[in-house]
Amino acid sequence: MTKSKWLAAGLACFAVFAFATPKGTVARSTALKYPAHAEQDGVAMGAVLLSSQAARNNFVSDLNHCCLVVEVALYPQKGQNLDISLNDFSLRTIGTDSAVKAASATLISGTLQKKASSSRDVVVSPSAGVGYESGVVYDPITGQPRRGGGVYTQTGVGVGIGAPGGQGGGTDADRKVMEAELDEKGLPEGAVEAPVAGYLYFPLAKKTKNAHYELEYMLNGNKVVLRLTE
Amino acid sequence: MRKTAISLGLALALGVLQSYCVAQTQAQNSENTTQSPTISAVAGNPPSTASDKPAENQGRKWRVKLGPVLMGASYSRFGGPVYYPYGLSPFDGYYRAWLWDPYWAYPLSYPAGYFGRNDGRGEVKITLEPRTVDPKLAEIYVDNAFAGTADHLKNMWLEPGAYDLSILSRDGASYRRRIYVLSGRSLKIAAKLNPPNPGEMKEPKP
Repeated sequence: MTKSKWLAAGLACFAVFAFATPKGTVARSTALKYPAHAEQDGVAMGAVLLSSQAARNNFVSDLNHCCLVVEVALYPQKGQNLDISLNDFSLRTIGTDSAVKAASATLISGTLQKKASSSRDVVVSPSAGVGYESGVVYDPITGQPRRGGGVYTQTGVGVGIGAPGGQGGGTDADRKVMEAELDEKGLPEGAVEAPVAGYLYFPLAKKTKNAHYELEYMLNGNKVVLRLTE
Repeated sequence: MRKTAISLGLALALGVLQSYCVAQTQAQNSENTTQSPTISAVAGNPPSTASDKPAENQGRKWRVKLGPVLMGASYSRFGGPVYYPYGLSPFDGYYRAWLWDPYWAYPLSYPAGYFGRNDGRGEVKITLEPRTVDPKLAEIYVDNAFAGTADHLKNMWLEPGAYDLSILSRDGASYRRRIYVLSGRSLKIAAKLNPPNPGEMKEPKP
């Protein structure tokens, strides 16, 4: 390979890394800044469960309809790599035996699209009108013209049925956007040396009232458990 | 002359009332609003295709929404001769039905939202903070392309996609954010412009 080809390849690699959309969120200064935090084998970890309002504010995608969102930050030991995989995270409702694994952006966006496209809007439009009409009329008995007028009113209701997915988020284009958003804001996977943070999406259909959740993370074969609070 | 004035007055009142009702309805449900597109598709995002049709699903959910509330008023006069008592019945003017139909005023002004969801675009509403920033001097860039000044782009309609939104003020203050636009959804952005640090060079335009 010639020198110029090596140079071009190097520039291309630089461009890919320099202009790639950054993934995840900005990690807080330390794990202690998160409501739930722990440390094991030199790796600190912090997490917070997003409330419904926070999920609404942070995402365009309507995540409250399909899943729970947890913001997680990992702080690897200095000079050591930490391999992050979504498979290592699971969420358990305290008091139950079942747990769910963190889902990928592709899966969640597909679920959201399906939910959005299965809903329809019924739009009700009431209407009302009032008017006054006047003119000259002829009395059929006397034949004399006389002026007259009358007020009339009109009311009505229009009912329209919207197309499926009318509330948005039901098209393939929307699914791609949601996937992009969830992927870009999600916890980055792979080997990292510096602190990273991002969101994890757990497909729990309904958030049970007064339920408490635990985030479990398998780190080097050991389980780290964080009791989550909003 | 007096009748003409009454007619004009009624028409004006109808227009104001109609705008108010539509605004109220839109405030209730901002998702329902649509408007003529200000910006068309931006490069890099896939245009809507036939494959964008929603998937057919079983067990649909139904949501009942209040649509535009329409109110109208009118005045009409007929010259006759019409023989009493049939002349003044509200039902006599069949051929004038358009006059007392509250929909008659629509051709004068189509309110925002009348045409539905604007063929699959999503709305982006931008407000500048602090309010002292002059919108005329704030330039909006979408994916590094100049889109217009903030005074003209309070509402943008974009194809579904992810965009890099930048707002640059003449005094160097700037705001950057990655936005995600979904069809039929409204995204409100309160852009808080960060003033340039003293001694720092003005941020270059994209």
